[in-house]
Amino acid sequence: MLDSLSLDNKVVVITGGGTGLGLAMVRALARAGADLVIAGRRKGPIDAAANEVINMGRNALAISTDVSDSTQVDGLITKTLDHFGQIDVLINNAALVSTNVPKPIWDISDQEWQGAMDVNLNGAFFCSRAAAKPMADRGKGKIINVASGFGLRGGRDIYMYCCSKGAIIQLTRVLSFSLARYGITANTIAPGFIPTLSTDSEFRDSLPASGAFLPIGKLGQPEDLGPVAVFLASEASDYMTGEVMIVDGGGLAGGIAPTGHAPVTALEP
Amino acid sequence: MPILSEFSLSGRVVVLYTAGGDEGPLLAQALAEGGASVFVVARRQKTLDVVLAALGVGSHNGVASSLSSYADLSKVVDTFDLQYDRVDILVNDARSFFAKPFTEIGLDEWDELHARNLRSVVALCQSFGQRMVQQEYGRVVNLISVMAERGVINGSAFSSTQAGLLSLTRSLAVEWGGHNIRVNALGTGWTTADDIPLEVQRKELLVRYTPLRRKGNPRDIGPLLVYLCSEACDYSTGQPVYVDGGLNAHP
Repeated sequence: MLDSLSLDNKVVVITGGGTGLGLAMVRALARAGADLVIAGRRKGPIDAAANEVINMGRNALAISTDVSDSTQVDGLITKTLDHFGQIDVLINNAALVSTNVPKPIWDISDQEWQGAMDVNLNGAFFCSRAAAKPMADRGKGKIINVASGFGLRGGRDIYMYCCSKGAIIQLTRVLSFSLARYGITANTIAPGFIPTLSTDSEFRDSLPASGAFLPIGKLGQPEDLGPVAVFLASEASDYMTGEVMIVDGGGLAGGIAPTGHAPVTALEP
Repeated sequence: MPILSEFSLSGRVVVLYTAGGDEGPLLAQALAEGGASVFVVARRQKTLDVVLAALGVGSHNGVASSLSSYADLSKVVDTFDLQYDRVDILVNDARSFFAKPFTEIGLDEWDELHARNLRSVVALCQSFGQRMVQQEYGRVVNLISVMAERGVINGSAFSSTQAGLLSLTRSLAVEWGGHNIRVNALGTGWTTADDIPLEVQRKELLVRYTPLRRKGNPRDIGPLLVYLCSEACDYSTGQPVYVDGGLNAHP
């Protein structure tokens, strides 16, 4: 039964795969046997990630892509098909994090709003659109969108991030419902607080400095997402679609604050 | 076939509670395949025999109990203690189904269903969870139905037990989060353990209503159960994960 967790002979396309959560997922996917197409804006990190995968004995391709540009996205999918002949899994992970500095609504420019939506939401839509047809033609495929706990709850002055991540969860639901008949599933991973280089520069003020405010008492690590990505990319998740897997240290189950609230009240007679 | 080592349950001891139903044997097999020793608590001897037979040889054992009193509970724990010196994982599959028009449900029937589906899980979580708190490690997975999220005609009693299990899952995740214990729920939709041909299944309206257009099978949740029981599941807690063919994303 557990052999279905292997990704042998699967081709996975992941955006934002050179750094942060994406890189951690790339490493786990490769260890589980996948071949990878790693997309990202900057050449350096995606080349390094692809080399890591190749050194692990898998095939990998690094393709510079700005996911907010649908022509580049179409090129990413075409190059993947030219090289590997198939796409088993698409992971929409690219997001603007570090430029999403929380600020009062009256200080947000049109460009800031649009720029975040272009990458975080349009990017996932463009990639899903480009990959869905070849997947449907083959009668199988998996789309995994990376959202956030901020896609399910609000955050002070975090407009673009919350709105785009919430929209991605809805994109997943519509994809799941619409593409099920073609053998394609779509699911979301919603990470909670997981410090990476980009959160270090960006959400610094909005992130609790430690995990003290989370029920499990600590922050997550990028590596926590690896096994979840592998599960959703594998045949072990074939009957699961339209779902959100929340990986957040219990933040949504309990609320971020006030953690430690522990009332003791006797039952009235 | 490369499989992540993080999914391994090697050396772990699982207490698996099954109230019956056709998923118990395959859930037990998935846990054993992951490397765990499985101690089965079954509501009836017949169910226990079936699950232990499915497990075959190995360091597996079990006991039949209705878990309706502290004496029942003590017997379960004492039997467990004869063979194992620690418990790492508790899996509760306490879904006895029941459906009746709401105004016709007797209060005794309501109580019986809540005792079977919810209080039994409370009892096991108290007994084995206390040990997990002391040893500062544990994983708890509660099997629930998608009816925890939806209303269904004649389903009030059953749905409320499932919603209760989900709420218990969230509360224990928060209460035990600081003790390195993770508590999650694994939800299923319409399932069968029989291999029914798709064209036969699709004669049912409920199957055609399900986006993936087939019923679930216990095999569909085995690997996810193993993940939720593993050390890899360190940053997920207090959440339901539904494997329901897309029912939950559906209007």
